[in-house]
Amino acid sequence: MAQLILNHLTKDFGAKGPGEGGPAVSDVSLTLRKQGFLALLGPSGCGKTTVLRMIAGFEQPTDGSIEFGECRLSDAVRVLPPEKRNMAMVFQSYALWPHMTVAENVGYPLKVRRISGEAWRSRVAEALSLVRLTAYADRRPSALSGGQRQRVALARCLVQQPDIVLLDEPLANLDQHLRKAMEETFRAFHERSGATMIYVTHDQAEAMALATDVAVMSEGKLLQVAPPADIYARPEGRVVGSLIGRGAIVRLRLPEKAGRQLDWPLLQAALAGRRSGHGHAGEGPLSDVLIRPEQVHPDSGGMPMRVLSSVFEGERSALTLALPDGQSLKAYSNKAFCHGTEVPFVISGGWRL
Amino acid sequence: MKTLLPAVAAALVAGLLSTAALAESLVLYTSQPNEDAQATVDAFEAANPGVEVEWVREGTTKIMAKLMAEIEAGNPVADVLLIADTVTMQRLKEAGQLMPYKSPEASAFEASLFDPDGTYYSTKMITTGIIYNTSAAMKPAGWEDLAKPEAKGLVTMPSPLTSGAALIHAQTLAGIGALGWDYYEALAENGATAAGGNGGVLKSVATGEKAYGMVVDFMAIREKAKGAPVEFVFPAEGVSAVTEPVAILRTAKNPDAAKKFVDFLLSEEGQQVAVTMGYIPARNGLALPEGFPAREVVKVLPVDAAAAVKNSDADLKTFSGIFGTN
Amino acid sequence: MRVSDEIARGRRKATHAPAVDTDAEVRSGSRMLERPLRVLAKARCWQWLRLASGGAKDDGSEGERGPARVRLPKELTRALRGFDLPPPPYADEVRVPETRSAKAGPRRRSSYFRFRGKRMSGVGEPAWLLAFVCGAVFLLSVLPLIHLGWAGLKGLEGGEAASVLLEAATFAALRNTLVAAAGGMVISLVVGALFAFVVALTDIRGKLALSFAFMLPMMIPPQVTALAWVEMSGPSSPLLKTLGLAPPLGSPQPLYSLAGIALLLGVQHAPLVFLAIKAGLATHPRDGVEAARLSGASPWRVFRDIVLPLACPALIAGGAIAFISGIGNFGIPAILGIPASIETLPTLIFAKFASFGSSTFGEIAVLSTIIASISAGGLLLQQRALKGRDYRLIGLTGARAAFTLGRLRIAVETLLWGTLALVLVAPLLALVASSLVPAYGVPLTLHTVSLQAYGEVLFRQTVTLTALKNSVFLASAAAVGLLVIALPAGYLLAARRGRVANLLAILIEIPYALPGIVLAVAFILAFAAPLPVIGVSIYGTIWIILAAYLSSFFAVSLKPVMSAFLQMDPSLEEAARLAGAGFLRRMRDVLLPLVAPAAGASVILVFLIAANELTVSALLWSAGTQTLGVAIFNLDDSGSSNLASALSVLVVAVVIGLMATLEVLAKYLPEGVLPWRN
Repeated sequence: MAQLILNHLTKDFGAKGPGEGGPAVSDVSLTLRKQGFLALLGPSGCGKTTVLRMIAGFEQPTDGSIEFGECRLSDAVRVLPPEKRNMAMVFQSYALWPHMTVAENVGYPLKVRRISGEAWRSRVAEALSLVRLTAYADRRPSALSGGQRQRVALARCLVQQPDIVLLDEPLANLDQHLRKAMEETFRAFHERSGATMIYVTHDQAEAMALATDVAVMSEGKLLQVAPPADIYARPEGRVVGSLIGRGAIVRLRLPEKAGRQLDWPLLQAALAGRRSGHGHAGEGPLSDVLIRPEQVHPDSGGMPMRVLSSVFEGERSALTLALPDGQSLKAYSNKAFCHGTEVPFVISGGWRL
Repeated sequence: MKTLLPAVAAALVAGLLSTAALAESLVLYTSQPNEDAQATVDAFEAANPGVEVEWVREGTTKIMAKLMAEIEAGNPVADVLLIADTVTMQRLKEAGQLMPYKSPEASAFEASLFDPDGTYYSTKMITTGIIYNTSAAMKPAGWEDLAKPEAKGLVTMPSPLTSGAALIHAQTLAGIGALGWDYYEALAENGATAAGGNGGVLKSVATGEKAYGMVVDFMAIREKAKGAPVEFVFPAEGVSAVTEPVAILRTAKNPDAAKKFVDFLLSEEGQQVAVTMGYIPARNGLALPEGFPAREVVKVLPVDAAAAVKNSDADLKTFSGIFGTN
Repeated sequence: MRVSDEIARGRRKATHAPAVDTDAEVRSGSRMLERPLRVLAKARCWQWLRLASGGAKDDGSEGERGPARVRLPKELTRALRGFDLPPPPYADEVRVPETRSAKAGPRRRSSYFRFRGKRMSGVGEPAWLLAFVCGAVFLLSVLPLIHLGWAGLKGLEGGEAASVLLEAATFAALRNTLVAAAGGMVISLVVGALFAFVVALTDIRGKLALSFAFMLPMMIPPQVTALAWVEMSGPSSPLLKTLGLAPPLGSPQPLYSLAGIALLLGVQHAPLVFLAIKAGLATHPRDGVEAARLSGASPWRVFRDIVLPLACPALIAGGAIAFISGIGNFGIPAILGIPASIETLPTLIFAKFASFGSSTFGEIAVLSTIIASISAGGLLLQQRALKGRDYRLIGLTGARAAFTLGRLRIAVETLLWGTLALVLVAPLLALVASSLVPAYGVPLTLHTVSLQAYGEVLFRQTVTLTALKNSVFLASAAAVGLLVIALPAGYLLAARRGRVANLLAILIEIPYALPGIVLAVAFILAFAAPLPVIGVSIYGTIWIILAAYLSSFFAVSLKPVMSAFLQMDPSLEEAARLAGAGFLRRMRDVLLPLVAPAAGASVILVFLIAANELTVSALLWSAGTQTLGVAIFNLDDSGSSNLASALSVLVVAVVIGLMATLEVLAKYLPEGVLPWRN
């Protein structure tokens, strides 16, 4: 299985609407792990879909290149047409052809490759049974629910035995509980097919649940690529920090010597503005610090903070706390607190972005 | 969709094939009214099986324009012409567009009714008289009556720009000393209109839009017979006449069929068809159709063909100037 | 109590976050905002916010929704003041309706068709496609227009043709044309808008029948309309005579006047305005009206403040179409104007052509250029007012009734049906009456009824049979031939945006916008001489008429097809490409089946319009190539009005029959194919 490499990929659509300057994709370089599952994460308009479409061959890069193993797929000069790449794509709208039955939809790649008759039937049946839709083989897509259509689209990908599977926000149109089920299906699909999967989403929870690597993009640029645990614990920069997981970003004065992983004494000192044994806490340049809600606990030995709001979430309450200097933090608690009470909290850790 | 396309394609092919010519064909340009043209063609085809006639009908001036346009484009389609007046035919002959043909039937006609070189032959005698609606108060007896105050705003006539007969009529009346172009100016001041062809005048008077009109004889007499509330008068001062000549074009693609057509029109059978349609036949020895007075009552005014040709443009301009017509 | 608490809480929170998406399926990259948004989503009374954020239809069909900016609650904004947060994630709202029920219907198909913005793929169509489409456009549009322009220029140079510009007749014709077209436009707007607003927005009964009947004037050839009205009014009317209501002898026919021409132009083109406004109203969500009424506005105020301004572009479009059609109309001024010596520019050209002289070609080229310039001016104004959106001939799902009329309903229904009776039924009855009288001026009684005219027309006059055969052939050939060209052209123009596509679209549009007379002149000039390689001239044959039809109706054929391509979800084709299908393959397997209904619509529309066409064939016909329109016109022009009436009645009967057949088949055709359906 060859490796997909994006080399300084750039795409500029030219004149855009007011307020939007610059290219859609700017100097993105990425080497995909073989048989990996890459999630392209970012807010709408960050260019992730454009990158996906360039990989598929629907857009031609303005600069840079895409290579798959030895073969150069696209660059600014020529593009290998999508028909000739052995890739499959699951679209946000599923792209099932309404005038064909489910079986015909799934079997279309085979038909194009001139496989017919018994071979066609058996491969289509196999794909349908894998997504558990054998009973629906002769229905029209319009008779199916959203989740079922999604599975038909997946079956169509399976049948093709592609090298790379592209997924463009495939779960965006589904209900909450269906999404969980489909995530399972994608995982199973990935294991079975052994293809490299590239998954575009703006839902970071989904990205982290599914992917082996998460690539965060914003405004056309690639900000960070790392496995989910790494990117959760150690995000680089404010943008990534605010996109991944929940938390609050506060600005604190920290000594330059302090590392990136911060502990309670340091934070307490920075917040209180007192001198501590670690040097001149309370002085130093302002830094962005990411504090996750799970790192904030009510503790009698902690710093008193005023509870701004308390929202009951079922398994816990989510609190918004006000720091002495006015910034706010998020915290979890088993108890509900009243608005305005002062409660001591301890921050067990923080990460300097 | 799947079955529709082949079906339509098949229909198209069938249509194309059916337009292929069969046997001999003949193209006729005529200014006769549609029903008369159809009847003439039907009678000819019955007498000459194996010849299929395609005909085109428009007012004389318009049909001449069509012909000229086609000649200029290098693609004249017509074989035979059957139009209102000999003046136009004379002009065509002088332009060298007609084919001479000496028809054996010519012996039964007076010499003045056909061209000595055989380029055109008159087929009928069509006079222009006065038609009036039976509910009109004043019953006209002569041309001068139309200029009276009782007829104010109630008179219509065909335009020479559309009808060849109308042009001849205007030229004829203009040549009468007592009338002349002053007569037309008096008519115009009296609110008379001039537009379109004879058919329009007939319809106008018969339906009551206008009370009085100048129109060709056969139309009025025929409609009266069908029950229309009209009367036709051959005015005391006299009537103009056109003779509806037939001619073969020099560029005719089917000259043999064309000659057969000319012979048919001039034969006794063909002339009898004209009588049945209500026209005065040009051939000697045939009775006038029903509804007409005796031949002697009809006073036909002479017209100088050569002079008429020379003065046509000027006369048209004069007429247009008086009536502002198109 | 709980519910009102929730709603109350929702209201309070809403004051902090005014433009928030209320859809329950909001997903945001930042969990910070999820909770308050979920609460808000439950407050249904804030549905109008969805409208503000992009306009949603709640009847399950897809609408275009732009991304809605999710704004942070004020507290958080304050807390993070001075910090540079990235732009908050957008809430995407594209939602495919979950059709769990067994409800069938064309609505389902709409889930695969949504409005789209830029279509991005530029790498996909084969090179020969562009060449084919460009070639077709060149032959059909550019070549004749170049000849026309050239002849006009030569005429101007030559001097004698230029003098036509200064003739009084030309000025009079120009003035008449503009006055009649403007008057017609006003009448069309009034009548068409009345019908459109009432049908689209209120709850009157019999909407389908009303729409169907209202479409008829558009489908009936204009000269037939004129004939029918002439037979209906004035002292010569058989209808009035029979009823004893005829004006006295010698009264002028009121329709033989500029006012009469304007009136009939208005009636003829009112359906165009009707369609334009209905289509315009269809793109506006019902929610907007409902929201306004919730705000306390009376129905009249809602109409005045919300519906009317939103419908303004449609009104402009409709007015422009009516005006341009009025300028180029030939049949009505020909029948009404000639008896009164009123010339408009088209009839002036016709008359000049009829009195053929040496300078004719130059003169009519110059006059054609004048007409073309006026039409072009009108088109530009329309483009500017609409910024390229097109409302012609495409009826989409209409806004459902939003106003109940209550007691007014009967009055409004009477008004509409009464107008229809006056404008459509009475003239048609008069037409029938005049085809049944044995001779002019005879009142129609049981004794005088005669089918002689029908007998003559159907059995004796070979002209009519030839004309029928010709018209059917021309209409079918044009419809099918254009489809073959329109499908690739539609695909190309939908796939490629940019200057080339715009230029092609304009070039295709021009012959349709040009008055038929001008186009006919252009074709005469282009094809009078024998064709270069073959050496055969098509002038005077049926092929020149076919060529002119192909050019003239290209735009009509293209619009439904292009619209279908534009509305098609691009991922359908992209999925086929990834599955490995080349261009022809995916055209055949995926694209063509999906646009087949639009293709069917295009065939039907072209057929209906071409079968009754008069203007173009009036100049191009010759022996044996008469069309139905020409046959009717000639019969009337030559005085055989009763024959013309008989033929017209037959034509109207066939048109109604065809439309009725389509209506019966309507459930097999998807939305938007039949213009009179919602």
